[in-house]
Amino acid sequence: MQTQELRQEPLAAETNPGDQAFLKLKGITKRYGADYMAVDDLDIDVPKGKLLGLLGPSGCGKTTTLRMIAGLLDITKGKITIDGDDISHKPPHKRDIGLVFQNYALFPHMTVAQNVAFGLEMRGVNRVEARDRVEEALEMVRLPGYGERKPKEMSGGQQQRVALARALVIRPRLLLLDEPLSNLDAKLRDDMRIEIREIQQRLQITTVFVTHDQVEALTMCDLVGVMHKGKLAQLGTPEDIYERPADLFVADFVGRTNVLGCEIEALDRVRIGASVYPCDTRGLTSGKAKAAIRPHRISLTPSRDRSLVSMATNAAHGKVTRVTYIGDVVQYDIDIGGNTLTTEVHTASAGHSFQSGEKLLCEWKPQDMQVFAQGSGS
Amino acid sequence: MAAITSSVPLADAPQTRRKFPFLLIALLLPMAIINFIAFVLPVVRLGMISFIESRSGGVLTNNYTLENYVSFFTDSFSFELVANSLTLGFGVTLITLCCAYPIALFLHRVSPKWRNMLFVITVSPLLVSSVVRTYGWMVILGDQGVVNGILMSSGIIDSPLRLTNNTLGVFIGMVEVLIPYMALSLIAGFGRLENVYEEAAASLGANRWTRFRRVILPLTAPGIALGCLLCFVLSISSFITPKLLGGGRVFLLATEIYDQAVIQLEWPTAAAISVIVLIIFGLALAVYSRVVKRFD
Repeated sequence: MQTQELRQEPLAAETNPGDQAFLKLKGITKRYGADYMAVDDLDIDVPKGKLLGLLGPSGCGKTTTLRMIAGLLDITKGKITIDGDDISHKPPHKRDIGLVFQNYALFPHMTVAQNVAFGLEMRGVNRVEARDRVEEALEMVRLPGYGERKPKEMSGGQQQRVALARALVIRPRLLLLDEPLSNLDAKLRDDMRIEIREIQQRLQITTVFVTHDQVEALTMCDLVGVMHKGKLAQLGTPEDIYERPADLFVADFVGRTNVLGCEIEALDRVRIGASVYPCDTRGLTSGKAKAAIRPHRISLTPSRDRSLVSMATNAAHGKVTRVTYIGDVVQYDIDIGGNTLTTEVHTASAGHSFQSGEKLLCEWKPQDMQVFAQGSGS
Repeated sequence: MAAITSSVPLADAPQTRRKFPFLLIALLLPMAIINFIAFVLPVVRLGMISFIESRSGGVLTNNYTLENYVSFFTDSFSFELVANSLTLGFGVTLITLCCAYPIALFLHRVSPKWRNMLFVITVSPLLVSSVVRTYGWMVILGDQGVVNGILMSSGIIDSPLRLTNNTLGVFIGMVEVLIPYMALSLIAGFGRLENVYEEAAASLGANRWTRFRRVILPLTAPGIALGCLLCFVLSISSFITPKLLGGGRVFLLATEIYDQAVIQLEWPTAAAISVIVLIIFGLALAVYSRVVKRFD
């Protein structure tokens, strides 16, 4: 029921008339050669002040999309508008968009202050004002007094923040971030994630963030667009994407999931192996399909009689085939008569630990099992 | 070394440290000896000859004197030589830079698939001796040459253009001879130039010209400095191309050294001018290292 409530909020926000699309991508397409579609007919609207994450595996077209918005790549077809202003064919230096690159791209021959001041200089901001704004921007990214350093004298995380300051100091209409965290180590990445999100929300700047990391997309973004083979597989809030994936690709790509082959018995139940499980088939009535269950939505108890289990839950008897200790969770691979279910139990909440070979009962709620037509999103 | 590190490291550490400089010296020694015999000794000898007094006909005496330098600096023709050489050096270097820069920039950006082939084509003139190429230019630029032949037969001009036996011919020949060297040096110094810097500059509002001026040019400065140093030195020290295409009418330090040493047999005078050329090179090197330091 909690999921229902979560669903209400973004929908209400999107229908709010004061919250109209600020960045509009209309049918944008990038074709290479005769028939390779890097980006295929993409429609995305981003409301003002929101952070859109473009998520997908490498080669899905997310970076191509970002580069088209920035003007670094020509669009083959379609239209890009910012606040009603058609920028589809404007050169990049006239788009007024802040851009942060994966490898930061700080000018190596300039100091940090010169780097940050570059965009202001291009806009003819006078020297005194520029100096103040540069210092202000460096303070915003928590690097006050670093102006006289050269980029190569700074760590990766510091360079990343300079790049952010350089993109934001010009007060662009739109901020684009191209995998900004992928060159940082894990700890720093967590900190920068929070920092970037805080700055974005403080400035209320509309932002597009490209990433292949689902954690970044889910934790930072107001909206997530999952891309696959140049197409938009799903656009929604992080909750939508995670709880209600549109197709098998999204279910599989975002978060860990078990995908099992199944046969549709009726609108409300599927057969997996020899057992029949109630669930919502989302309109499918027959034929082969795929069922997806998140590992942590499966609860494990020592084996007992099926008749003692509530009919409201799905249950399967199984045998532990592998135990993997990860730290925060323990992963159990469980064989349930031909299919293997991967399950996760939080180490803190685990009442008991199981051994390899042990027999136990897997239970999950019918609504935690998603059913997708065979071949959807592949 | 593997055997040493596998045994007790404490006992072996001093031993490896003793061995290292020995190995270093052993590896450097052959080059040091060759350099000493083939470079240091001749330069010292050259310096000594420049102070030797000579009698008429180029006979060397055992007396040392400053006369060779005094006569160089008191002769107004010497200043003409220096001026001509510097004009040629700076002029040829600048023109060569302008011709080779676009080539180098293109080679830096072209896809790796084509780069190697185009690179070989760019430097392929080096496979042919510059003497041969100079003769080629004489055929093309001469009064009966290809260019004049076409222009005259098509009725554009009545009398041949003077394209050789003057400074213009020397410039044309020198620039063509030096373009591969310049292109090689430029590419070698383009390491820091990446497309992403131009994209960053564009996103910050820099137009094409500003991107070139503020990003590409400073990032390629080390290559420009290296290429200019090399071409300046090569154009001042070259004498075959100026002699052949200048037709004996272009007077430079290098040609004068040749005349004094080979025709007049005045070795002390030739040596003195050589030392002066060496000093000019030293100054060029000093300017180069300052430029490189500034752009580092």
